Amino acid sequence: MDSKGLILVVDDDPDIVATTRIILEKNGYEVHTAPSGAAALGLLDRITPDILLLDVMMTTDTEGFDLAFKLKEDPRFRDLPIIMLTAFLDKVRTEGAGPFEFILGEQWPVEWLFEKPLDAKKLLAKIAAVLKERKTA
Amino acid sequence: MAAGVTDTAPISPLPSLDPYVRWPVSARWAAAGLIAFAALAAWGAGVSFPLFGMLLVAAALLAANAWLRQWSQRLGDRLGTPEGRARFARWQVALDSAALWAAVYLSGGLGSPVLFALLVPACCAALLLPAPQAWGAGTGILAALALTGLAELAGWLPHQPLIFRGEDLAPAPDAWGTAAALARFAAFGLPIALLAGAILRRLQRRLAALEREREAQARFHHQLQTLFSILETIGSTHTLEQVLETATAETARVMHVKGISVKLLSEDGRFLRYAAAFGLPEHVIGENRVEVARSPLNRRIIEGEPFVTGRLAERESFQFGEALSEAQIQSVLFLPLKVDGRVIGILGAYCAKPDRFSADDVAFFRLAAKIVAIALENARAYDAVKTLSNERNWFMMKVAHNLRAPLAGMVSILDVVRGRYLGGLTDDQDEYLRRLDRRARTMLSMINELLTLSRNRDRRQEALGGSTVPADLARRVQRTFQDRAAEKRLAFRVELPAEELPPIRGPLETIEQILENLVSNAVKYTPDEGSVAVRFSKADGTVRIEVGDTGIGIPHQDRPRLFTEFFRAENARAMEVVGTGLGLAIVKENIDKLGGRIVVESEEGAGTLFVVHLPAAAGEEKR
Repeated sequence: MDSKGLILVVDDDPDIVATTRIILEKNGYEVHTAPSGAAALGLLDRITPDILLLDVMMTTDTEGFDLAFKLKEDPRFRDLPIIMLTAFLDKVRTEGAGPFEFILGEQWPVEWLFEKPLDAKKLLAKIAAVLKERKTA
Repeated sequence: MAAGVTDTAPISPLPSLDPYVRWPVSARWAAAGLIAFAALAAWGAGVSFPLFGMLLVAAALLAANAWLRQWSQRLGDRLGTPEGRARFARWQVALDSAALWAAVYLSGGLGSPVLFALLVPACCAALLLPAPQAWGAGTGILAALALTGLAELAGWLPHQPLIFRGEDLAPAPDAWGTAAALARFAAFGLPIALLAGAILRRLQRRLAALEREREAQARFHHQLQTLFSILETIGSTHTLEQVLETATAETARVMHVKGISVKLLSEDGRFLRYAAAFGLPEHVIGENRVEVARSPLNRRIIEGEPFVTGRLAERESFQFGEALSEAQIQSVLFLPLKVDGRVIGILGAYCAKPDRFSADDVAFFRLAAKIVAIALENARAYDAVKTLSNERNWFMMKVAHNLRAPLAGMVSILDVVRGRYLGGLTDDQDEYLRRLDRRARTMLSMINELLTLSRNRDRRQEALGGSTVPADLARRVQRTFQDRAAEKRLAFRVELPAEELPPIRGPLETIEQILENLVSNAVKYTPDEGSVAVRFSKADGTVRIEVGDTGIGIPHQDRPRLFTEFFRAENARAMEVVGTGLGLAIVKENIDKLGGRIVVESEEGAGTLFVVHLPAAAGEEKR
């Protein structure tokens, strides 16, 4: 298969999953999807994606970040680039309460953070850039 | 003197007669030496008198003085009680009188040239002893002289001549001579000596009183400073934990006690909990919760009665006795912490010195306890508000997320359809889907902005900390808007002056929000190929930021309502469907919070210039 890369999309919003899949597949990527962090972990035993697109708030408010931290601690997935997606990325969150605070911390376990609705052009450009960087590295 | 003074004795030693009581001891060494030296010199010069007897007197005086010195040392620095001091003074006067009497007798009796040396002990007596005793001493000296004179006249006591070149320098006076000498001594010498001593005594007392007053003032000053220091430290903290920590540490520090504890009463008043303890070993705190009903001591304190003890070990009934004496704590003071007459807990003070807490200290700790109680109550209120506000913020956050998530899904679907991923669209279909998309996006930003506004309201009372470097701000604005400006082929510039700008007072977030809204409007309402410029400069203690554009401008009649919520100028609505009318309201709010100001100049169809002045951070705010 002449795919440009294998992408795993993890999000509990079926509309986001469906539209992201359409955009990515039309642009030559192979796409797998998972509706939760646990499902994603199960899937990761069988497939080796080139990039992970990961929603922040799923069943719990920090499920996406929890998974991201877990993967970064696992030697098998340490180098797997992660792009986080969130329905709510605003300046407000940085001063706020709860789990939003740590998003601004220095130690992001992720390559990038996009706000939903996703800008298809920017997302595709970022994915291409990350993959290119990976190949040269 | 002042009645309360003896109560406060542990704080500082009272100035007293001590130096005067002790001083004669040092002077006496010299006096004994002088007697011996004068006797030897006179003998050498050819005066004949009982030299051996005179040297014996000097030796006896030395020996007596050695004993007196030992006594004064045994009495310690403060010479013990007033009675002890008086007894010591009486002994000195008596021994001096005896020695000088002997010297006078050996040098010729009433005719002796050193007769008036006997006025010295009289003077000392007046200085060191109460008036009746001083007059008693004077009378005693006079009586001894009279007896000596009589005894010599009667021949009971041999006259000791003082012979120089065959002549008696102090011939034995006859009866009249004896009477005259005694009368001279009694009428002139003795009263003057006693008077001089008494005057000195009064002066000395006066000085001591002044000194005590000064001490009292110093104490008062120190107490005021202490209260102020406690107030200042706990005034600058907000959370309950911080207040407890600083209040206990600060009180212990300024009051010079080993430990301070705060026990707080539970809501229902049934339990006391150690909320903070400074300077106490862990096991003193031991069981963390005390049931009030089972602790008569604590119950009494809560009912308003302070508890003080200065000898902890002696109080078997005291429930913490063992643990505290293990920690070598002797003095303990417990006071109720009261706010508006309601007891909220107990303040405890612990000290290793026995009898540390005087009535004065208790009164003072009461004041400190009041301050601590108020600070605790404020901190509790602050914590409650903070919790409430956090809960509210969290709720708002959830609402915002839950409102945005379906909209985001909707827009994503529209993107896919309009991006022709699912097949072609007619122009009309595309146009209406575009309108749908705009509406959805408006809603998305409205949710964000409403949230921002509500949160800003929430924090309006809070002081804005931190400072912001203008260069950082410029860089971020440049980065945020360059793409959007490029899409519209706008000339977009962010300019910093050559000279370095002072940091702006306030957090980056707040200031950036101002600029983002202004620049976003400028970009939005400037037609393609126009220009947008952001200029930073320094102006009289403020940083001036201009945001200028060549856009549609703001109609004159719309200016007054420009910064109100949900307001959008007519020409703005005509040009852009999307817009919430909240952007400038946020700008105004943030500028108000930072203590800045904003002015706008605009010509419809030619462009708009917003000028913002924000106060520069003061030098000391770089914490």
